[in-house]
Amino acid sequence: MTSPPARIPFEQWDRRYADLLAQGLHEPPYGGPLRRHLQAGDDRLAQLCYDNSPAALRLWNFLLTEGDRLRQARASGDLIVGTMKDLGTVPVMVYAMDHAVAFYPDGAWWTPCMMHASTCDLALAAAAGLDESFCPVRAMAGAFLSGRQFPRPDLLVCSAGATCDDFSAIAARLETLGYPIFWWEICARRHPEAAQGKPSEGEEAVALPGGGTAPRSQVQFVAGELERVRAQLESAAGQTLDDAVLARGIQAANEIRRRLAEICRLAFGSKICPLPALEMLIAQMLAIHFCSDRAQTLEVLTELLVEIRRRIAAGQGVLPPDAVRIYWVNPVADLRAMNLLEDCGGRLCGNDLMFAHATDEIPEDVPPLEALARCALADPMVGPADDRAARICREARALHAQAVIVSRIAGASHCAFEGGVISRRVGADLALPVLEIEVPSVSDALAPSLRTRIEALIETARRGAERSRT
Amino acid sequence: MIVAGIDGGSRTIKVVLLDTAGNTVLASGVCDQGVRQEALAVELLDRLLAGIGRPQGDVARIVATGYARHRIGIAQRAITEITCHAVGVRRQVPGAMTILEMGGQDSKLIRLDGDGLVRDFSMNDRCAAGTGRFLEVVAARLEVRLQDLGPLAEGSRSPANISSTCVVFAESEIIGLLAGGVCREDIVAGVQRSMAQRIAAMAAGNPEEPIVFTGGVALVTGMKAALEAALGKPLTPAPDPLMTGALGAAFLAGRMKD
Repeated sequence: MTSPPARIPFEQWDRRYADLLAQGLHEPPYGGPLRRHLQAGDDRLAQLCYDNSPAALRLWNFLLTEGDRLRQARASGDLIVGTMKDLGTVPVMVYAMDHAVAFYPDGAWWTPCMMHASTCDLALAAAAGLDESFCPVRAMAGAFLSGRQFPRPDLLVCSAGATCDDFSAIAARLETLGYPIFWWEICARRHPEAAQGKPSEGEEAVALPGGGTAPRSQVQFVAGELERVRAQLESAAGQTLDDAVLARGIQAANEIRRRLAEICRLAFGSKICPLPALEMLIAQMLAIHFCSDRAQTLEVLTELLVEIRRRIAAGQGVLPPDAVRIYWVNPVADLRAMNLLEDCGGRLCGNDLMFAHATDEIPEDVPPLEALARCALADPMVGPADDRAARICREARALHAQAVIVSRIAGASHCAFEGGVISRRVGADLALPVLEIEVPSVSDALAPSLRTRIEALIETARRGAERSRT
Repeated sequence: MIVAGIDGGSRTIKVVLLDTAGNTVLASGVCDQGVRQEALAVELLDRLLAGIGRPQGDVARIVATGYARHRIGIAQRAITEITCHAVGVRRQVPGAMTILEMGGQDSKLIRLDGDGLVRDFSMNDRCAAGTGRFLEVVAARLEVRLQDLGPLAEGSRSPANISSTCVVFAESEIIGLLAGGVCREDIVAGVQRSMAQRIAAMAAGNPEEPIVFTGGVALVTGMKAALEAALGKPLTPAPDPLMTGALGAAFLAGRMKD
């Protein structure tokens, strides 16, 4: 099982899987060859390049069997909660309870099975009035209507307020299609107001995960909203979700976040590149909702971490040592873009996937609902775009990025606005080359153009680095 | 040492043969692009070599650029047209700070730093408006040759307003203008102005001078003036606008280490 690390195309995974089995591969119940997911309809999988490790195989199998887990949960009578828009707050509350799972219906948009527009749930969404002028999150509506991706949840919880317009419209449409939603409000984060000349009379600033602040009044408001969510969850589950139970849930979530943080620290910070960008993206996505199994999420990440450490110790990476370090902003609707980055000579050295607050540790030294409120308010999408840009600049600088790619999501209302803000700030603060691209759900027709842009960015960064050396 | 730059563009293939001893262009040529992209490029290369009495084996290195760059297997390296245009233009116009390149399939605005390295770039390639393809569609609709569009536009007294930003819709708009009795001269001038305004929007603000205009569209009379009006700045035409990408590729081939 100690083949040199490599990125391999889909068709090589059959042979690789057979080799791994022959070498005594031990798999969890959701294990198996990748090909079965292709046969089940995830036909875009055939176009991706994969890390060749057993840890990566497990990661993919875990991701692509979430529907099975949810159906098992239904069969077992567990409470199934669809947590929408909110990334990383309500799932922590749900998983604190026994016999309850949360999943992320709007997360369906980036999974490979959704990408094949002609046959997938995007077409159903379009038939329901949510065409391609909307953000790819519209795939969620198609998934609800088809019932193919996940069973109908017992409860749908969705945040409203400081959320993107597209999402709000899509969720509202979903409700009119017969899927009742429990709404809670997240307010637009603002900076605490200072009283001129009288600091003691200004608003109290509360520290948020990730380094920002919010006024005490906003934290209290969101905590109040989460109190309503708590009551709803208790009612649906028939269980008590008191502070002690929540605190244990937060601790468990933090264990996963710490594991992920260590993966990111090593993968982004080491001299060699121990894990491809695609598998990094998926590992990070797991942190949002634990892919319907919190305990397994921890195990999957732990196995990845072990593999990363092994590769670093052996000095074996998956990319050439001169790959250009790219900081990537926003997740992509077509996962091929992550492969493309590496095909063009780039290496992921950091990213902001719009859910930094779902990976930052939740405070454990304050009451649980306040801690979760602080976490929710740290969401980069609920605050000023410039706050997000500032954090991106801090991270890109610390991670020695040589260039930044801002990947807009086609149709997403917040991206069109934020992309320019982030690009200008990166250009001004870091003087790094920045590229704005748009990656649609199916990027086949744009692949040559995307390649040219990314290659040109990498050439620019490389020539800049060569000049610095001379 | 002889090196070659091959620009596999969307409409044409361009080849430049360079003698690195004196950075002298030994030969250059153009042929139409087609399905057999590499074969066409090799045929053109061989023709140019035959013209100077040298065999292909004398070419030490080849760099390919353009949208077909990865399809030209005889090249040792593929480099994007953005980098190649930057090098090619700087060789021709040493002080250039901005490059406006309009090709058959896309248009680009490339900003350079003082050393001639690419600082950043913008591209329009999602839509044919603002590219040479737009002019081809217009020429076909107006039943004139592409090279006659410029002289035709010079006769315009009142350029038509072309409001559509999509070629398909713009073509419908042109049909409507013709039906309304608008003369071809005014339509062509209107199209040029519309394209120029689109490019000016891509420039987003204040492109640094000198601005060099290159790419196949730079050969169309009237486009330079339309762009200057839209940008509010003078443009310097590249001496051989069709060849700047291939020229840059050839210079980069000369710099490559074995």
